[in-house]
Amino acid sequence: MSAVFAEDHDVPIPYMQRTREYYLALGFRPYRWAHFVEAPFTPLRVPLERARVTLITTAAPFQPEAGDQGPRAPYNAGAKFYQVYSAPVDDKPDLRISHVGYDRVNTVPEDINAYFPLTRLQEAVAAGRIGSLTPRFHGAPTNRSHRVTMETDVPELLRRCREDGADAAVLVPS
Amino acid sequence: MGLAARHLEANGIPTVIMGCAKDIVEHCGVPRFLWSDFPLGNSAGKPFDADSQARTLELALRLLESAPASRTTVQSPLRWREDASWKRDYLDLSTLTPEKIAERRKEFDEVKAVAKSKREGT
Repeated sequence: MSAVFAEDHDVPIPYMQRTREYYLALGFRPYRWAHFVEAPFTPLRVPLERARVTLITTAAPFQPEAGDQGPRAPYNAGAKFYQVYSAPVDDKPDLRISHVGYDRVNTVPEDINAYFPLTRLQEAVAAGRIGSLTPRFHGAPTNRSHRVTMETDVPELLRRCREDGADAAVLVPS
Repeated sequence: MGLAARHLEANGIPTVIMGCAKDIVEHCGVPRFLWSDFPLGNSAGKPFDADSQARTLELALRLLESAPASRTTVQSPLRWREDASWKRDYLDLSTLTPEKIAERRKEFDEVKAVAKSKREGT
């Protein structure tokens, strides 16, 4: 065990504070993030080796008409989507993240597996670690409106997960 | 994503979130969270590093199986780089000149208009 302490700035990045200060400097009203004190809990009732797992992502399907969605694209609001979507897990989906605010200084999203772990999940199924995957994965819109998220998108995701018989969900924001 | 995890969980489907924005996810309050201290955009592990991705997923699966209670966060032991200076870059205000502020403001207004027209078209 090293006796040398880590650097003081080597802590979780305060994203909410930085975003708040950034938008204030630009003259915009600060965003209010979802916040709850308590959180629900459901234990996994099926051993993972027999469980059917679903994958939920905020990444967007590539849309040829929607402008630059390449790994060096600037923030592209035109590539956003506003409805829950689902697609087969077996079709090698082409998903991009140009529509969200990832760290464009330190990240070039050229490897889909860094933000969409479908291939790694399929390997876990092949290895017997997970029973199976649902036939579809699901896309969750990155809507600024909490009301739309809570009243429309999230109930729709639940409906689709139930339709697919999911025992558990892995959610991966990008 | 936090809201989705909460809703699924409340309706009987256990969830785990894999993510990089610790403060935002924990502020929301979610059942299980595997946190990678990586730049935003790498929630599932390092790019072109299948071993890092497999280890990240395995931690998330272990968390799914074994979290003792809600709001359980596990921190991945993987490091983005030995040197943590990358953490200073995200929305770094010290690089903003008045000209840049004006430029970004204009960009933001444009982006909002694009998002609005797209939203209203769907």
